Amino acid sequence: MNDRAKAATLPAGSLDADPALGADMRAAIERFLIEYARCLDEDRLEAWPNFFLDDGCYQVLSRENVEHGLPAPIIYHYSRGMIEDRVTSLRDALTYEPVYTRHMVSNVYIVGVEAGVYRVISNYALYQTTIEGRTDLYSVGRCEDAIVVRDGRLKFKTRTVIADTFAVKNNMALPI
Amino acid sequence: MTEADRAAAGPGENFARVPFALFSDPATFARERDVLFRGPTWNYLGLEVEIPKPGDYLLGYVGDVQVVVNRTPAGGIAAFENSCAHRGAQLVRRTRGNAAQHAHTCPYHQWRFDTAGALLSVPQEHGVKGKGGMPADFDKRRHSLRTLRVETYKGLIFGTCAPEMPSLYDYLGPKIRPEIDRIFDRPIVVLGYWRQAVPANWKLYLENVKDPYHASLLHLYHTTFGIYRATMAGRVLMDDTCGHSVLRTADIGENPTEMKALYKDIDKYRPGYKLKDPSLFETKPDYDDRVTNMIMTVFPNLMLGQVASTFQTRHVRPKGVDGFELYWTYLGFASDDAAAREGRLRQANFVGPAGYISLEDGEAGRLVQRGTHGLGDRASVVEMGGDGAIADQDTLATEVAVRGFWKRYHELMRPAP
Repeated sequence: MNDRAKAATLPAGSLDADPALGADMRAAIERFLIEYARCLDEDRLEAWPNFFLDDGCYQVLSRENVEHGLPAPIIYHYSRGMIEDRVTSLRDALTYEPVYTRHMVSNVYIVGVEAGVYRVISNYALYQTTIEGRTDLYSVGRCEDAIVVRDGRLKFKTRTVIADTFAVKNNMALPI
Repeated sequence: MTEADRAAAGPGENFARVPFALFSDPATFARERDVLFRGPTWNYLGLEVEIPKPGDYLLGYVGDVQVVVNRTPAGGIAAFENSCAHRGAQLVRRTRGNAAQHAHTCPYHQWRFDTAGALLSVPQEHGVKGKGGMPADFDKRRHSLRTLRVETYKGLIFGTCAPEMPSLYDYLGPKIRPEIDRIFDRPIVVLGYWRQAVPANWKLYLENVKDPYHASLLHLYHTTFGIYRATMAGRVLMDDTCGHSVLRTADIGENPTEMKALYKDIDKYRPGYKLKDPSLFETKPDYDDRVTNMIMTVFPNLMLGQVASTFQTRHVRPKGVDGFELYWTYLGFASDDAAAREGRLRQANFVGPAGYISLEDGEAGRLVQRGTHGLGDRASVVEMGGDGAIADQDTLATEVAVRGFWKRYHELMRPAP
């Protein structure tokens, strides 16, 4: 089973009550998710790859495909190098609408920890605001993440965004 | 002259001037529904592999009208409008499923229809306790769903509302069929779907995929990484009506010096640009013809093509005069081994809503819709490749297939004399 399939089949109903998971760790994970959102919303794209392991994976899936068991990803960046390439493209190469973004992160749910990998599910709502100040709800969905501690810092092993808004508003240039 | 008048005047004699009104006039949009999509055209409905078993169905579109495409018990394919023969309610509510068990039952009053659209039963047809019910002469056979004529070619399903249409085989013609044959001569599999809600008139996307001129200028990825360059061997083909087109690019006969001269003042070619992780380019070619890019369109609104090792259909579904859904069906081959399959998933990064190449085409549509807004008295200039006869050309520096689209469009859309 590849990571895409795994992400879609996290066990339902696992209790977020593992005593080994201290309150400090829970707070650290929530803070990590908020720092990630702030990084994007403050347009610090160059720092975005720092949230990932070198062999980390960032992917965006359509809920439609996940529910039909179809593997085609919307975005599939399977190394930190590729994530850095996305940043370079966004900054220097790609033609896309300039917008402000605003991420709302909620319902953070720590499914459990296994071999040092924390499985975390959260919801997101991402608003985009045009250069003329008009705001639209761009995308909602959930994130299914595998987070590890590396050199004292949290990092994504995988961040899998599953978009309910699978009819993407125009296009998806910026990360979620 | 009103915007509607300008739109009705059409794109001029040599189709090198397209009135902006055609992208924003509501009357034009309504007329397209009646005379184009529901007129003498074959409309893409889906793929046979999507509905393999009896009773399987999918939702498709003819223009902006929803249709249900069914595999019948006998193994044929039938399509009907997704609107109950009773009061018009949407009949099928899921995008895909199987109706073999329960037939298609309207949620509103439980009228049941078979997979070919025939009315099977009407609850309380003969009344309740001797009262009410349908008139005595009510004949279920006269209340089927409205069906389309359906034909397939190499597993692609098309439907038409015009009963006297020539066959799909002839509609595609001898210049389009070979490109379909090239891809669909081996069993395909669907790897997924993507949808984009693009804020632009649907015809702007057709212009985009018939325009090889933009591809080496808008898309740095194409140019810098050798998927598509202006200096590659390129050819633009059209069928006799000029409504369908093929844009083919092969990495043959390129000269790097020529590239540098051509892009002297343009920022979209950067030979020094390197990827930190170029592994997504490591796929084996699927054919030995060195074709790196093939974009085919079937009039009015299907695009089918290859970009590097990706294969896909893109159905341009109008959603009002100023929006369309770009509905992608992303394909692999049944014969793919694990490495080939993984390669196709990696190259999904080129195409689809977030693809390094394709995301820019959505933006191009938005830019033109925005830029032409309120300027219905103006027209675009479509002269790259000349403004003379509309014929095949052996160059990518051309917009001739865009003019071909407008020629066919105008033949069908122009008001009767």
